[in-house]
Amino acid sequence: MKLAPVDVVVVGAGAAGGIVAEQLALAGLRVALLERGPRLAFPQTGHDELRSQRTTVLGNAFGPEDHGYVRLAETSPGQFRRVLPSQGAYNNIAACVGGGTMSYGAMAWRFLERDFRMKSVYGAPAGSTLDDWPISYSDLEPFYTKAEWEIGVSGKRGANPFEAARSKAYPMPALPYNTEAGVLDAAARRLGWHPFPIPMAINSIAYQGRPACIGCPHCVGFACEVNAKNSTAVTAIPRAIATGQCELRTGCQARRIVMADGARAASVEYFRDGALDEQPCRAVVVSCSATESPRLLFQSATRVHPRGLGNSSGWVGRNLQGHAYAGAYGLFEQELFDGLGPAARVACCDFSHGLPNGLKGGAMLANEFIRLPYLFSRSVVPPDVPLWGIKHKRYVRQYYKRSASVKAPVQEMPVFDCRVELAPELTDGWGMPTVKIGGRRHPFDRDVARFIAARCEEWLKEAGASRTWTSMPGAGVSGGQHQAGTCRMGNDPKTSVVDRFCRIHDLDNVWVVDGSVHVNNGGFNPSLTIQAIAYWASARMARDLRSRS
Amino acid sequence: MQIQRRAFLALAAAPAWAERGLVTLDAGEARLIEAISDTVIPADDAPGAAASGVVTYIDRQLAGPLARFREAYRVGAGQFDAACRAQHARSFAELDADARTAFLHNIDAQGPPALRGFFRMVADHTMQGFYGSPVHGGNRGEASWRMLAIVDVMEGHAH
Repeated sequence: MKLAPVDVVVVGAGAAGGIVAEQLALAGLRVALLERGPRLAFPQTGHDELRSQRTTVLGNAFGPEDHGYVRLAETSPGQFRRVLPSQGAYNNIAACVGGGTMSYGAMAWRFLERDFRMKSVYGAPAGSTLDDWPISYSDLEPFYTKAEWEIGVSGKRGANPFEAARSKAYPMPALPYNTEAGVLDAAARRLGWHPFPIPMAINSIAYQGRPACIGCPHCVGFACEVNAKNSTAVTAIPRAIATGQCELRTGCQARRIVMADGARAASVEYFRDGALDEQPCRAVVVSCSATESPRLLFQSATRVHPRGLGNSSGWVGRNLQGHAYAGAYGLFEQELFDGLGPAARVACCDFSHGLPNGLKGGAMLANEFIRLPYLFSRSVVPPDVPLWGIKHKRYVRQYYKRSASVKAPVQEMPVFDCRVELAPELTDGWGMPTVKIGGRRHPFDRDVARFIAARCEEWLKEAGASRTWTSMPGAGVSGGQHQAGTCRMGNDPKTSVVDRFCRIHDLDNVWVVDGSVHVNNGGFNPSLTIQAIAYWASARMARDLRSRS
Repeated sequence: MQIQRRAFLALAAAPAWAERGLVTLDAGEARLIEAISDTVIPADDAPGAAASGVVTYIDRQLAGPLARFREAYRVGAGQFDAACRAQHARSFAELDADARTAFLHNIDAQGPPALRGFFRMVADHTMQGFYGSPVHGGNRGEASWRMLAIVDVMEGHAH
């Protein structure tokens, strides 16, 4: 069915799409916000470890389900395997209103100045497409501030000496340390490091009419039962709807962007309740994630754009990246577990940049979110303890409350052949070709990860761990919940997909706004950067669209 | 009288899964899975996998989110049983605890890939059933959470 026209169709109601919809609606534009998943209420997802965002053995509580969705993944070199959303190699984020922000850990990091000019600082290693961003930290700073205040971030101004200049304090004080963070903070100071409370998109005090965090341990991987975790589902999206200018439509699976001519999109086609609807519009914003946004552009290929929309460069779907997670575990004689969530509370940025031995980039180090029992039994086991039997049971029993972990999202060197491609040989539940995800991470990432893992271990030892061991990233393509890079932002249309305001170079009225536009992904959880870019792009987009009407 | 007494004993020894009914596994498979899972997580002063209902967890999930493993259970159970009988001339459930552990160690360390894959799948699902939420049929009476002294944390809020 062909619907009455709107000004803008935003495809994807996640971290970025929710903000773009809100900002354009506030600017007086009529917005249709499409989301393939449902709007979830807390009781629908609950506190079930086996069906959470981290442990998906019984499915993804935040979508998509295992029926209807499928991908091909390169699980070993040259070997592509069919994978379902609940399997790690699928590289799922979520499919629900709020997207990944419904269940994220909610660390709310600003990238550092150097993260935006990595090539100038370090030079690109051979085999990497590492480059400078077309925007700087100072371009984005006001929008980081806006994101912190509009979405709501708790933090301590001035506590991180490595942080870039900020124009305004956090709107809420930092969450207090838990037992583990207190022990780790003291240890880091003894090492001469600079620990501080992690900035979190979680209310430390009542904010915007929603309550403070109640400290439940089910935080990362779950929705918040009191709405103290600041997803776009409880912030930007309700405000967008309240303008009367934005209609949120759930259960809408986008099929393609329909072009009016070689340069202008005319509408978006999508499946809803088994029917195909067409929403005419003046502009389209693609905010589907770094795996699904390129897919929509590929699926929208025309005679003029045979390789997909925005893909004259051949860069759509390229440079898929996430983080090369390194870390360490430590066992202690005393109990550190206090059940207080979110358990991740302390971090340091001493190793985000400036590493020795020519290593480029680095990572923020933070103590890990709570390990729920099943995950602990499988993954927090030192190499010399068996994975089953009475010794394993005794180990879990003795150390469940006497362990700590430090994890670090190591900044990756982008690789052109880490990519999302259309997979015409495999169709999803709507009969549309799905994607295949392939490539190998840059070998350099493992060198940095090795150095960072050793720092994580050093931190735990200083904190008094009696035994420690490290964890290293694998060699396969990276993406996952931090997926980014597949529609790179740049000034040169030959080596990027969108311009500095996220508009596709090749087209007049199509934007990509999500982690896809990141040139590199920082040594941090990327959600606040995705959101700052969403505010930055929306401001320009609103001006452009109003002047055109 | 003798028969009645035997029937009574059989009832008294009936495993948890028998009382709660099976959906996907047959009784022979359930006995095997129970014996494997109870070797993966044996009872000590806290319940093991059998008493905490891991078989019910696996049986029910094979009819739902774990349906893609159903065939692997069917085929794997047969191969596993055959391998055990070839070595011990008895079913795995009839072996004593030490023999069970030795047999599984051998498969885990150097067994043929098919058997090793089957065992590791059962071991993983055993951990899920034992440590996961009771709503899925395992972790009866929150046995593992009581063992870890985290019932208050898992049920509600620590503070």
